[in-house]
Amino acid sequence: MPVYVDISRCIGCRSCEVACQRVHEGWSHVNVHYAGYHAAVPVFCHHCQEATCAKACYTSALYKDGERTAFAVDKCTGCGLCRLACPFGVVWTDKLAHKCDLCSPRETPTCILTCPANALTTDYESASRRARARAAMMVAHGGRR
Amino acid sequence: MIKVDPALCIGCLACSNVCPSKNIVRDDTIEKRTISWKKCGEECDLCVEFCPARALTLVAESEETSIVFELVACRICGARYATEPMLRRIEGSLPEALQKDSSGLAWIWICPICRRNIEAERATREMVLGRSRKSP
Repeated sequence: MPVYVDISRCIGCRSCEVACQRVHEGWSHVNVHYAGYHAAVPVFCHHCQEATCAKACYTSALYKDGERTAFAVDKCTGCGLCRLACPFGVVWTDKLAHKCDLCSPRETPTCILTCPANALTTDYESASRRARARAAMMVAHGGRR
Repeated sequence: MIKVDPALCIGCLACSNVCPSKNIVRDDTIEKRTISWKKCGEECDLCVEFCPARALTLVAESEETSIVFELVACRICGARYATEPMLRRIEGSLPEALQKDSSGLAWIWICPICRRNIEAERATREMVLGRSRKSP
């Protein structure tokens, strides 16, 4: 259950970054990137099915909890292996590791609640429905309008 | 006293992080990481217990030891970001299929900042292509 991003809706305001910082003691686990003038892309933890960070963690501080890649801070030694084992560069270590925990135990991640452009969701169905609707519109209108 | 096996140590700093009496000192510069195990008389074996490489043992007598690790440079930006034994350990712990991304890039040898940039570029490319796609 990662956070799905609809990049064509993202306005690059970095509200998700700030929202993440607000609930994680000043650390943000989202990174908004800008591609020239074309687009802004928030880069999130994918909560990979085969989580390489959890495979690298030797104290099981990082582990799969259903679809979520969860983190037990009391087991972390701050070795930094998870940071190096993340293919997307979204695990950080500063004495202790920190990464997206989907704002557990909150029901909805704070970044999703905050996003003013409605670009984020954890609901795969709604994300894919939106993408399909957009593709259908394009076909109906004969290309992009 | 702590005895360290330089052949096993990967330079991760887990021991330094868990040491309650600050007897394991790190010194990071841009190019090198130096770890020093000071003479330690504490009755404590946290560093031994938490070493991922099992490189530490407790002995009766030992001198202060230091190991210097040259940090590996990112293949894209050149920034030095990790010790080689750490990256080798990750290479060894992951199945080969996961060590390369969809474009065949060996991401382990790329720094986390460049990994994020690559991911952002990939996502943008996908979106811009979708935007400019004309219907048949």
